Amino acid sequence: MTFKDIVSKIPSSTWEVTSERLIDIVLNSKNAKKMPSGLAKTILYYWQRDQLASEIGLQRLLEASMHIDPDKTAETLKELGLQELTVLLESQ
Amino acid sequence: MTDFGIEFVPRDLYWKTTFYAIQAEKTGFNTLWITDHFNNRNVYVSLAIVSAYTDKIKFGPGVTNPYLIHPIVTGQAISTLNEIAPGRVVCGIGAGDRTTLQLVNMKPTRPLSTIRESVEIIRGISSGRKVKMEGRAFTVLGGKLNFKVESKIPIFIGAQGPKMLALAAEIGDGVLINASHPEDVARAMEFIKNGIIKAGKTKEDLTIATYTSLSVANKAEKAKKAAIPVVAYIVAGCPESILSKHGISMETATAIRHAIVQGRWKEAFSNITEEMIGAFSICGTPETVVEKISRLVSIGTTQIVVGSPIGPDIRKSINMIAAEVFPHFKTKEEFVGD
Repeated sequence: MTFKDIVSKIPSSTWEVTSERLIDIVLNSKNAKKMPSGLAKTILYYWQRDQLASEIGLQRLLEASMHIDPDKTAETLKELGLQELTVLLESQ
Repeated sequence: MTDFGIEFVPRDLYWKTTFYAIQAEKTGFNTLWITDHFNNRNVYVSLAIVSAYTDKIKFGPGVTNPYLIHPIVTGQAISTLNEIAPGRVVCGIGAGDRTTLQLVNMKPTRPLSTIRESVEIIRGISSGRKVKMEGRAFTVLGGKLNFKVESKIPIFIGAQGPKMLALAAEIGDGVLINASHPEDVARAMEFIKNGIIKAGKTKEDLTIATYTSLSVANKAEKAKKAAIPVVAYIVAGCPESILSKHGISMETATAIRHAIVQGRWKEAFSNITEEMIGAFSICGTPETVVEKISRLVSIGTTQIVVGSPIGPDIRKSINMIAAEVFPHFKTKEEFVGD
């Protein structure tokens, strides 16, 4: 299952808050240096265009947060009531 | 209306600095300053990336120094940036951070003539002129760029002591007052006035920026905790004349500097008192920050530079400044609060 498939299961009403929480993980994690440079540039591209709370922006943020801190990502998704996604992410 | 600048230290990963830079532009900051210390990521590489991901915010080194980087190279670097982002580049230069220079055995000798000559070289080369100079600090036999610089690049001079403040006002397009306390800024204004008079300028010809250390958070204690490391560096590099005004001995500052140079951070930071935080930073809740900035603006500051640490969580603090501080100093059209 791709990040596109996973994000498609997130209700659009929670895109904004999910995006905010994932940005927090990406920026504040002690593992931030694990971020692949190409992915970082893609995220900056979408951030500049106000697209981080869009479907495509969320896909990249989710990919980044899984790279950097999978445990925290799973915990955050659970807090957001998206626990079924954690199972899908584990199969990545 | 007051302009706001923001300072980033490229100690962070390049994409984090760029993320915050984009955020600063979105929220209504006018100018972005990136510090230049050899032990952090390179300032011009950082600025080049920022320039690619932003569209309107002004940016530049804040500040570089002519001891580690020859001013002809600074002129070349800012001129190249100006090609990437025409009309958005500014250049901040100062006599350097003593603590960092000490690490490479550099002494900021003859700071006044060094800065005066540096500004002449940078301004000359970035204006497309051939620079010839036989100065006290620099000799340039005929430096000229092989490409054209389309717009003038304003040069800001970082200053703290009386003579440097006067010089900054005399030859700079802007002054970056290295202070956070209203009394220090009020004293600085007197010296700036002297420089303005000497140059035959008016106050309107000059941007007077107060380059603060600022830390904002919902809880004052959190803001203070974030400010301590930055205040330690400020105290360590502060001239005796300013330390004494705040009742801090040179011995204390020297001890802090030695601890920093030797990497004894805990010792350096444990010597930082409430008084030092009050003297050398704007620190606290948004209400406190508004009150302190208001005092600086009433003294004559035309740009407030929100210098590091910004806050315990940079992203949240930038949003907090936009939402709770800007409305007191900017019109609605000039900012976008979170």
